[in-house]
Amino acid sequence: MSEVSDVSARRRGPRPERLLTHRIARWVDTRLGTAKLARTALNKVFPDHWSFMLGELGLYSFIVLVLTGVYLTFFFDPSSNLVVYDGSYEPLRGVQMTEAYHSALELSFDVRAGLVMRQIHHWAALLFLAAIAVHLARVFFTGAFRRPREINWIIGCTLLILALLNGLFGYSLLDDQLSGTGLRIVYSITLSIPLAGTWLASLLFGGEFPGPDIIERLYVLHILLVPVAIAVLLTAHLAIVVHQKHTQFPGPGRREDNVVGERMWPTYAAKALGLFFLTSAVLAFLGGVFQINPIWIYGPFDPAQVSAASQPDWYMGWLDGALRIMPGWEVRAGGFETPNPFFPGVLLAGITFALLYAWPFLEARVTGDYAEHNLLDRPRQRPVRTALGAATISFYTVSFIAGGSDVLAATFGLSVNAVLWTFRFAVLLAPLVVGWVTYQLCKELSARDGLPTASPVAVREIPGRLRRGAPPTPPDAPEAAAGR
Amino acid sequence: MTSRRRLHRLLVAVPLVATAALTPFVVRPAAGQDADDELVEAGRELYETGCSSCHGDDGGGVVTDDGDVRGPTLEQAGEASAYYYLSTGRMPLANSEEIPVRKRPAYDDREIAALVAYVGTLGDGPEIPDVDLDDADVAAGGEIFRANCQACHSASGSGGALSYGRAAPRLSDATPTEVAAAVRVGPGQMPVFGPDTLSDDDLDDVVSYVEYLREPEDPGGLPIGRTGPIPEGFVAWLVGMVALLILVAWIGTRSPVRRSRP
Amino acid sequence: MSDSPNPPPVAGDPAVSAPSEQQGTVEGEAVLTRRGARVELASAACFVVAALAAVALAVVYWEGGQAQAEGVLLAVSLGGIGVGIVLWAKQFMPDDEVAEERHPMASAEEDVAAFTADYEAGGSTLRSRRILVATAGGACAALGVALVFPIRSLGPRPGRGLKQTPYRRGGVRVVREDGSPVRPDDLETGGFITVWPEGNTDAADSPTLLIRFDEDDEFEPKGGREDWTVGNVVAYSKLCTHTGCPVGLYQSQLELLLCPCHQSTFDVMRWATPIFGPAARPLPQLPLGLDGEGYIVATGDFSDPVGPGFWDRGR
Repeated sequence: MSEVSDVSARRRGPRPERLLTHRIARWVDTRLGTAKLARTALNKVFPDHWSFMLGELGLYSFIVLVLTGVYLTFFFDPSSNLVVYDGSYEPLRGVQMTEAYHSALELSFDVRAGLVMRQIHHWAALLFLAAIAVHLARVFFTGAFRRPREINWIIGCTLLILALLNGLFGYSLLDDQLSGTGLRIVYSITLSIPLAGTWLASLLFGGEFPGPDIIERLYVLHILLVPVAIAVLLTAHLAIVVHQKHTQFPGPGRREDNVVGERMWPTYAAKALGLFFLTSAVLAFLGGVFQINPIWIYGPFDPAQVSAASQPDWYMGWLDGALRIMPGWEVRAGGFETPNPFFPGVLLAGITFALLYAWPFLEARVTGDYAEHNLLDRPRQRPVRTALGAATISFYTVSFIAGGSDVLAATFGLSVNAVLWTFRFAVLLAPLVVGWVTYQLCKELSARDGLPTASPVAVREIPGRLRRGAPPTPPDAPEAAAGR
Repeated sequence: MTSRRRLHRLLVAVPLVATAALTPFVVRPAAGQDADDELVEAGRELYETGCSSCHGDDGGGVVTDDGDVRGPTLEQAGEASAYYYLSTGRMPLANSEEIPVRKRPAYDDREIAALVAYVGTLGDGPEIPDVDLDDADVAAGGEIFRANCQACHSASGSGGALSYGRAAPRLSDATPTEVAAAVRVGPGQMPVFGPDTLSDDDLDDVVSYVEYLREPEDPGGLPIGRTGPIPEGFVAWLVGMVALLILVAWIGTRSPVRRSRP
Repeated sequence: MSDSPNPPPVAGDPAVSAPSEQQGTVEGEAVLTRRGARVELASAACFVVAALAAVALAVVYWEGGQAQAEGVLLAVSLGGIGVGIVLWAKQFMPDDEVAEERHPMASAEEDVAAFTADYEAGGSTLRSRRILVATAGGACAALGVALVFPIRSLGPRPGRGLKQTPYRRGGVRVVREDGSPVRPDDLETGGFITVWPEGNTDAADSPTLLIRFDEDDEFEPKGGREDWTVGNVVAYSKLCTHTGCPVGLYQSQLELLLCPCHQSTFDVMRWATPIFGPAARPLPQLPLGLDGEGYIVATGDFSDPVGPGFWDRGR
């Protein structure tokens, strides 16, 4: 009690709510000994640059996804049993459908706030992946994946894959015509895997497509297994950032052995909280104002039907486009075959993610730079990395646009065949052009600003051989003692 | 030309001109045989002027010396076909290489009625369907639509791409009779759905669903095309992400700061 | 989490002052400037608007709900709180730069050595009992493998189902979705319908396209399939050989089938061979005949396994 009266004495007058929170904090501290840790947390320094907040956008979108998702789980019924619709949407009355689709219709038309929750959830998923994409780009182009942050890069790539999968599983749960078509394609891509494909597809779907089990299984994956994995990895991701301290751009007073910025308490915490509310506000606005995934127009899934202009959600568009522009090649020998969808669907996707995961190690090997880096690169000072990154982005962007070839053709009165042929060439040429232009731009901008560039891969100087060597370090960064 | 013929022409031309001066309305072939004949005759005149160069005398079609079909035969076209093509402006076509698309009709309603009557006499092609939407079952129509139509016209009826520059048009421009006629006729690349494939009741149902698709319920807000993920992706990036980036930039900017000296 | 407690901001840093003295003015005064007062008003107004929006949201919900109102009011409420907090933070909270020391991530050599020593000391018992380590490892591995086996229950062995359809019985009538059989004349020239084997209208691998082509156009059957059509009606599997989407687009003048998923195009007049797009194999064809009453029957199964390819499709 004397401690409490000490506190109140210092406060010069009773302020009841402050007294209570102090009492609670003291109670917790006597059980857990949190004061030291809490103080460390309060004083944590975070460098502030707007681009460091992009990952937070993903975090907040995920929180919105979980909150709206929990609400939806109370109403959604992941069952493949057939029922006849008798709800308030007249153009589907009397139509046979699965209980999954039926419960989604009920959510949309007959549950108060059901539709807005569904829509916020879906918009949040689209923005979750958009945030991950821009965050990944920021980390890549500033070289924040270098030692000691390779682990976090790997965790981040895994989060990307998990988010992608959960989005796919989520919109497929509703068992509408559009997402069911997508599942059919997933099944066929799985089937195309040599040797194991037929087994994998059968085990995943519980038999031949569509099978009676897939909705129930996707539900378990979507609401439990993948979100838990994402939550665990996200926690680790953030914990590592805090432990290693965030990177920072070079600038006055900023060195490899310090971190300059704002303290967590109160400013950074307040700004983060404010961004959370604002992100949620944007998602709520989208969820109420813009209609998304009007499943009542698509109708219930029927494996013998399909709509024109069937596309997956944007983050799967690159895969859909790759499937479309791939020419009709297959490998056949002795009665065995590697069917066409394997190449864009499995091989390309596999190589994409393998390169993504391996990048920090590849770059370290090529540049010979195994040192710790806490100062970020300005993209223009790393022309080769920036050019390669831009080229890769252009490859997937062309592929993504190709996923909408039929809509493009119909909208602009073009021949869809000509459009696809154009994309077949563009997907190979665009990366070359974009890469070259980016490289030149980086060199130009660096020269104009008087900045040194690090082009450790001196392609022109030593043709045919990669030269190992550390890039020139910024003027006030000491040689890292733990280097090599 | 004999004076009798001239008189006959005048008897046809005068009422035609008179009616043309009044408010236009769709003229169905009248019950009386005389009215029918007059209409057919008027149609034949119009046909000879505007259509025979590609479709031949008496609708027999024209094949060029190279073997290309300049205009197909109209013998099995029927009233429905003529009605559809003419009232949607797809015919007449300036040159036979063009792909027919919806345009402002070149003929007014009475001229169309006359041509329709004439083309109907060339063979036993389908008549203009009699659409009755009052007892139509829109849910059944939706099922028929999704089973037969959405693959080309998309689930929302906004159309879709076909091969080599052709396209299935969006359905919101078409009147119920035009939709029904198209189903029976199978114009252009569209397949033919005859009465043994889709009964007349089925036809009423699917037309009622197409009518619904012109103004469907949009409880979710702005429909942004109803075609799905493509416009949704645009909105996510151009509205959502842009808004978020603006907010991030706002939060991230700092008031004038005292920078520490090294 | 953190190894050593974060020390207070680096001594001698002129930018730092105690937070309680900061009241949002560059001059460092404790009194609100005019700008500060404006921001405080704006921030408070945001919170008030947010509260009102929340009340309105509850009312809307109580009165039956409406999606656009719910979304916008929720956005205003959340946004109001967000803007209010950010204005508060930017104007009134300290924004000086502080610096914190950063050490190389690798632990100090002494710590690593101490850890190694402790670990080795405990681990000596492990290493000196090699047989135990080996057999324990073997047991865990064996158990691990055994625990993977229940995955087998997730689905049936991929069997002949992928290579057969209910048509294989022979003499099976083709029927519409409502079960009614089909005569060739039910289709107009240029018409097409989807049919299934009689009694199996819910078989997902069996949707079949019946197309009546124009008899004036040249139809080239594949070798051996000359009698697979009846009355200018030909039958192909509706499942695309690329990724299994139903090939629902029949272009009657071009006599091409177009798959809307990835634009594979098949020539109806030449055994549905692919002429464009990613599909590498023609659509399997169904041999047709007529039964005693003139209805179309399938005289056997499809020419090839239907749908997308798989490893041993050709065996």
